[in-house]
Amino acid sequence: MNIIQLNNVSKSFEQGGQSFTALSNVSLTITKGEYVALIGKSGSGKSTLLNLITGIDHPTGGHITVADTDIHKFGESSLAAWRGKNIGIIFQFFQLIPTLTIIENILLAMEFVNVIPKDQRQNRAKNLLTQVGILEQANKFPSALSGGEQQRAAIARALANKPEILVADEPTGNLDSATAKSIKAIFTDLVAAGTTVIIVTHEDISGTDFDQIIQLKDGQIQPHNSTVSEMK
Amino acid sequence: MSIIFKKSMRDIQQRFRSTLLAILALTIGIWGGGSLLVSFYIMSNDLSANYLLTKPYQLSIQSKDFAKLDLDNLHELPEIAAAEFRDRAILRIEVKPDEWLPLWLYSVEDFDQLSIAKFYPQAGQFPPAKGTIAIERNNLLISQLNVDSVARAQSNGKLIDVKISGIIFDPGQAPSTQDAFIYAYTDEANYTRLSGKATHQKLIIRFNNVKTQQDVKQAYAKLAIQFAAQGIKIEASNIPKFDQHPHQFQLNTILMINGSISFLTFIMSMVLISQLMNSIFTRQTRQIGIMKAIGAKRGHILRIYLTYLLSISAVSIAIGLPLAVLTGKKYSDFIASVLNFDILTTDLPYFIFAIVIVLGFILPVIFSLPMLRNAVHISVNNALADYGIEAGNNASSSRKTSSMGMNIYSLAWRNLARRKGRMLVTMLTMALGVGIFLTGFNVRESLSQFLTNSSNSMQYDLKVVLKNTVPPETASAPFNDIAAISSIEGWLDGVGRVQTDAIATANSIGLVAMPYDNTLNKHDFLQGTWLTGAEQLEFVINQQAASEFAPIVIGQQYTISIAGQDISARLVGMVREFDVAKIYIDIDKYRQIAKLDDEINSLMMVLNDRSYDNVLRVKKQVERVIANQGIEVVYIISEVEYTKIVFDHLNIILTALLILSLLVLSVSAMGMGSAMGINVMERTREIGVLRAIGATPKMVIRLFVMEGFMVSALSVLLGILLALPLSAYGAKFFGNLILGENTPLDFTFSFMGFAITLIVTLAFGYIASRLPASKAIKISVREAIAYE
Repeated sequence: MNIIQLNNVSKSFEQGGQSFTALSNVSLTITKGEYVALIGKSGSGKSTLLNLITGIDHPTGGHITVADTDIHKFGESSLAAWRGKNIGIIFQFFQLIPTLTIIENILLAMEFVNVIPKDQRQNRAKNLLTQVGILEQANKFPSALSGGEQQRAAIARALANKPEILVADEPTGNLDSATAKSIKAIFTDLVAAGTTVIIVTHEDISGTDFDQIIQLKDGQIQPHNSTVSEMK
Repeated sequence: MSIIFKKSMRDIQQRFRSTLLAILALTIGIWGGGSLLVSFYIMSNDLSANYLLTKPYQLSIQSKDFAKLDLDNLHELPEIAAAEFRDRAILRIEVKPDEWLPLWLYSVEDFDQLSIAKFYPQAGQFPPAKGTIAIERNNLLISQLNVDSVARAQSNGKLIDVKISGIIFDPGQAPSTQDAFIYAYTDEANYTRLSGKATHQKLIIRFNNVKTQQDVKQAYAKLAIQFAAQGIKIEASNIPKFDQHPHQFQLNTILMINGSISFLTFIMSMVLISQLMNSIFTRQTRQIGIMKAIGAKRGHILRIYLTYLLSISAVSIAIGLPLAVLTGKKYSDFIASVLNFDILTTDLPYFIFAIVIVLGFILPVIFSLPMLRNAVHISVNNALADYGIEAGNNASSSRKTSSMGMNIYSLAWRNLARRKGRMLVTMLTMALGVGIFLTGFNVRESLSQFLTNSSNSMQYDLKVVLKNTVPPETASAPFNDIAAISSIEGWLDGVGRVQTDAIATANSIGLVAMPYDNTLNKHDFLQGTWLTGAEQLEFVINQQAASEFAPIVIGQQYTISIAGQDISARLVGMVREFDVAKIYIDIDKYRQIAKLDDEINSLMMVLNDRSYDNVLRVKKQVERVIANQGIEVVYIISEVEYTKIVFDHLNIILTALLILSLLVLSVSAMGMGSAMGINVMERTREIGVLRAIGATPKMVIRLFVMEGFMVSALSVLLGILLALPLSAYGAKFFGNLILGENTPLDFTFSFMGFAITLIVTLAFGYIASRLPASKAIKISVREAIAYE
């Protein structure tokens, strides 16, 4: 079952008075429960593609369907609600709200989307923190946590509203190798549990059990024939 | 507690200093604006209420024929609300050893049955014991008189001991502290004993169903016909400004200043709030992006920042409102004490609180709307891509570097251009503060200039106004032995509010008859010229008399009533002075009309040494001669005292103007301080980069200080441009308010004010940029580069 479908999607930007094409006629399909890697050089269009899939950005051409929904028909607020419900986003620099504790960060996501009943939120947040292995850090502020712990917290927050899709932009790019490995293990577990996981990465993907590898070059999908390390 | 609410509260904690500054700015706005609103409400109500409660008279009529009047019948007339005889004589009283002031002595028929021009007991006996007087409470501030004192009074050339048995409060009188009169009230028998005058010669009247001075004039015209039918010949009449306290102009001026400054203070504190909110939003843009990415709708974002904003408002209102009420009441008390009225307002109406609370909540939101709108509407993509300051337009176009390379001035200038909007708002706010502050100085200078002109217009030092007209030699003979007097000139004259007891037209416009070619007057002309000595009767008016002759056309013939005759005379000029309505004519012409021989009533004395101390010393000598020789004098005044009286009238206005304009400057300086602080804070990472590539802390500080100076200098420049039209308008506005309609003050630029403004503004600019920059360089380069 297809969960993400892109048909001839293009995206151009105006920069310095000139038009710059970030993505050109990209078409792809991702099925439910797939573990997908999005690879390519800097400026190849990876982040742009991710932003289009999550509804953070709008395409200048083509059509995108995510979870049977034409997301670009939504207004800004409806899109935010839809995104909060269907897609969990993990950023490279964790991007936790610094003034909230770890558990409050998760509860905030639940409060925004309001799909988890209020009386279940605390327990769910604790379960998620247990799942990512940082329950003991629940009441600490992000600044008190290590990078790896912050990224685990960010994953827990991304899972707060039981999304079908999890997208992560360079989730281990800022972590040491041991921590990165443990984070990748969480993603593998999530895929095993049926979540569709899309990861943008620069890292060597050899030995990683991706179902699909999408390689971008100059805004277009290329056949994947090399490891990520060769592309840098 | 909702997590959204928690986040707002934590933002307050995290941005504690910015939040504190915002609270401080809003508190000052609410405090300043609120206290002025409170005092505005109290004062605009209470002076008038004090005055109207006395049931002030609207018409006074003088006649020696009132024996023919049946006062009971007069009371029966439907148009008459109240009428009483309230005779007034002007004597002199010794208030301190060898210091005498005019004594306005009123006869009161029945102290317990006052129906018009009422006054109230304050201390001592009320009614005053027979044969004694009660004086007005404000008199105590300018004399050594009090209950049970016995003072010397001079009447008809004799010295009489007068016992004071009571103190009363008469809200209808101008404050003695400003006008330098003693007001006394006594029974009719004692009045006659002290003044030598008969009673029941002056009737004061209040009408029913009159709303304007014109209505009073019409009612008087009807009454005059009835009096004439009864054989009552009216000698003089006076219609004061309709139901208006003599010093209402001062309060009006203060209220106008209050109103405009409170509005400005409020607005400027709002600008400050909007700047602070802008900085907070700027720093939280990425957070907004994250929240939107994880599902926050626009409403959620709005709630977070509204909660933050409304919390700031709530704290500011909680602190500012009680302070506003307290200081507003204190300020009103102060003004009331200066103008000698009682504060009647005990409880403020709810709407005053409601206005402050509603404005305190709504205005910060309105002023932060652009930022709130940005926060709510910014796309996730743009929010996530925000890394603080952008290079702005500079980045998109190439820029030639001068052959001298990049220097600190051009770098500072370019930095200012990076946040054009904010810098423009900062400069405009500061410029407004500078403009208002400088306007305060300029208007003050215009008033000072007016005072100097008033002082210069009188080239004599002492004026002695005699009760009767006498030959000049007779008048001046007693003073010939005072060596300090260099010359004495004789006029027919009075001054100020005692003018009309010396000589006046039939409708109570003061009259000054002097040699047209005298050298003792150098008037400040608004129109026309001085008397020319032409064959035809000429006259000059002051601006207060203008309404009686409107429309004013120089060279036109008008009818003036002199010595009981209506005479046609040519108007040749209009002068500006701080005085009651007066007209000036040549003394010889006056004598011809009044059929007086070579007589005078005023001695204009010029002293050899015109210094303040000497004038007062000689005045005491003159006083002693008058007392010893029993000369019948209406009053004696020195030019320096007159100037002081004028100054005292204006000083309260000048002081209010300066204090309040300083308030505006302070709020705008806070705005600049916050903007500069935000500027430094936002560029913490840039400071790290600058230091990483070799800039010393000194260079970094210099860069920011230079930016601060540039903002200050531009603000001063803009402020001056703003101050010029504002000052011109202020001079016109205050001239009209203080001196009467169509009497602008001259526009004056205060160089001292400019110097102070420049120094203060540059100092603010230096401090506002130096302090945060000094703090920022204390962060390590590593921390600064990692700063978000």
